[in-house]
Amino acid sequence: MTRYRTMATNPREAAEWSTGRVIRSNLRAIVGRAYPRVIGLTREKSWLFFEIVLPFLAVSAFVFVYRALGAPEEFVGFVVLGGAMTAFWLNVVWMMAAQFYWEKDQGNLELYFTAPMHLMSVLAGMAIGGLVLTSSRALAVIGIGSLVYGVTYQVQDPLALAGVFFLTMIPLYGMGMLFASLFLLWGREAYHLAELLQEPIYFLGGVNFPLRAIGPVAGVVMATLPLGVGLDALRQLAFENVEGILPVGIETIILAVMGVVFLVAARLALGYLETLARREGRLTLRWQ
Amino acid sequence: MNDRAAVRGMTLADSWRSFRTAISLGWAIEANWSDPFLFAVYTMAKPLAAAGILVVMFQVISGGQNPEFLQFLVVGSALWNVVFGVMAGLVQSILEDRERYRMIKYVVVTPTSLFPFLLGRSLARVVTAFVAVVLTLAVGVVFLGVDLQPNLLYLVPAMVIGVLSVIGLGIFMAGWCLQLRQEAWHYPEAIAGALYLVSGAIFPIDVLPSWLHPIAYASPTTWWLEASRRGLLGHGSPGLLGGISDGMVMLFLVISTAIVIPLSLAAFAWFMKRARQAGLLDMVTGS
Repeated sequence: MTRYRTMATNPREAAEWSTGRVIRSNLRAIVGRAYPRVIGLTREKSWLFFEIVLPFLAVSAFVFVYRALGAPEEFVGFVVLGGAMTAFWLNVVWMMAAQFYWEKDQGNLELYFTAPMHLMSVLAGMAIGGLVLTSSRALAVIGIGSLVYGVTYQVQDPLALAGVFFLTMIPLYGMGMLFASLFLLWGREAYHLAELLQEPIYFLGGVNFPLRAIGPVAGVVMATLPLGVGLDALRQLAFENVEGILPVGIETIILAVMGVVFLVAARLALGYLETLARREGRLTLRWQ
Repeated sequence: MNDRAAVRGMTLADSWRSFRTAISLGWAIEANWSDPFLFAVYTMAKPLAAAGILVVMFQVISGGQNPEFLQFLVVGSALWNVVFGVMAGLVQSILEDRERYRMIKYVVVTPTSLFPFLLGRSLARVVTAFVAVVLTLAVGVVFLGVDLQPNLLYLVPAMVIGVLSVIGLGIFMAGWCLQLRQEAWHYPEAIAGALYLVSGAIFPIDVLPSWLHPIAYASPTTWWLEASRRGLLGHGSPGLLGGISDGMVMLFLVISTAIVIPLSLAAFAWFMKRARQAGLLDMVTGS
């Protein structure tokens, strides 16, 4: 019987595959992890209902507050757009950041660590699937919200609007990838952390009001929170006479830099996590 | 055969012991397993941020005018923590014990009733919700100039009756969610969100479409919020509800609670019976 010896530190090295096969395997991992989320668009009808209804209820509550205060109608548009972006943020928090923690609870994480693909591929698959899934929900929130509350948009440059939207998604999901590793490291705190990243982030991100209303804190948001930066830029592009914190061009550059920073940080965090998981052997175990 | 037939001599003391044990368990899961600093931040940041959003919206539009509306917002936002805490506490306790820890079937086969266990298990979240109420009100008083003029003779019964009605709604939800699959986790948020909309928590119900007004008047949470506002602030909400006398508000709260509680208990008993018959107590949905 031949005894297998290897100096490899992870399954990818142990596989000794050609570059082509490595690329194909990672692409398959991306498609495989995105698949349940894309297919879930039509299969889990109840999720469709809840993921549209919950943001819509929140949007409605804030719309009625503005109406009770006699606010100008453009604030209703702000809230509807903020509600749609909330759907993406919730997806990032619950289905990216907390996902590795749930995977651990279900026993899948050990399989990820023993498979010869890069974990970044799993996270990329989650992000792509989540983006597709949530886009349908966000579009529904915008469509229903705009119809029910009579929101009108004054989009001068649809291409810029689409570009800023996609540029916002890169750091947003990059942040989710980074948090996925951190949440796993912090173990049982995952649920509390996910909860903590809701209302406080809606407040700091100016989801329901113009970001400049929170004063100097908006500067910190501009440097750290892609949701706030993206929303500020999107509002400037979707409505007339909206004064943002910074001009759209600068906010676009900030989003691009954030995208690179969060993706690199996510990769580093994942590398650390993988080392820790192999060295200590309990990071991937259920109930730990 | 009745599965309780073999258990004779179950006393209030036994139920009390279950309740106490479940409180310890619920607190361990909610708080003791957490980093104390993170738990404190989490307990404080979430309700304060929720109230902060409303305060900034108010400041942006009114520029600080109309302080009565600000008081209305702060008190409504603070009290809503209780509704969400009770509903989420009861439902998530039952779902966590079925889906994650997979212990509910063992609790059900013990001689004790599930009911005191469920109440005790969710108490940690309810207590946390009350901490959030006090904290939000304190921030409102200290930093926003909310003028509390508590009338304890009115406030205490309003709170007791109102919280009982919310517990009733939570018990109904817990039984209902036991019948459901993965989407059950979303139900407390969905129902609390819908009630938030119709109960006049953060805006007067006058601004709702008229077809929602009957639902608003039927909900005990509407009357609880209104009665609590009167007990805390010394005056009612702006608009329609504000024109109703204190006595009538309390009467509507009592009537709606008196309807909700027996209905919820009966529904919970029926849901439990169905769960036993259909094997739903050890169902794991993979969520």
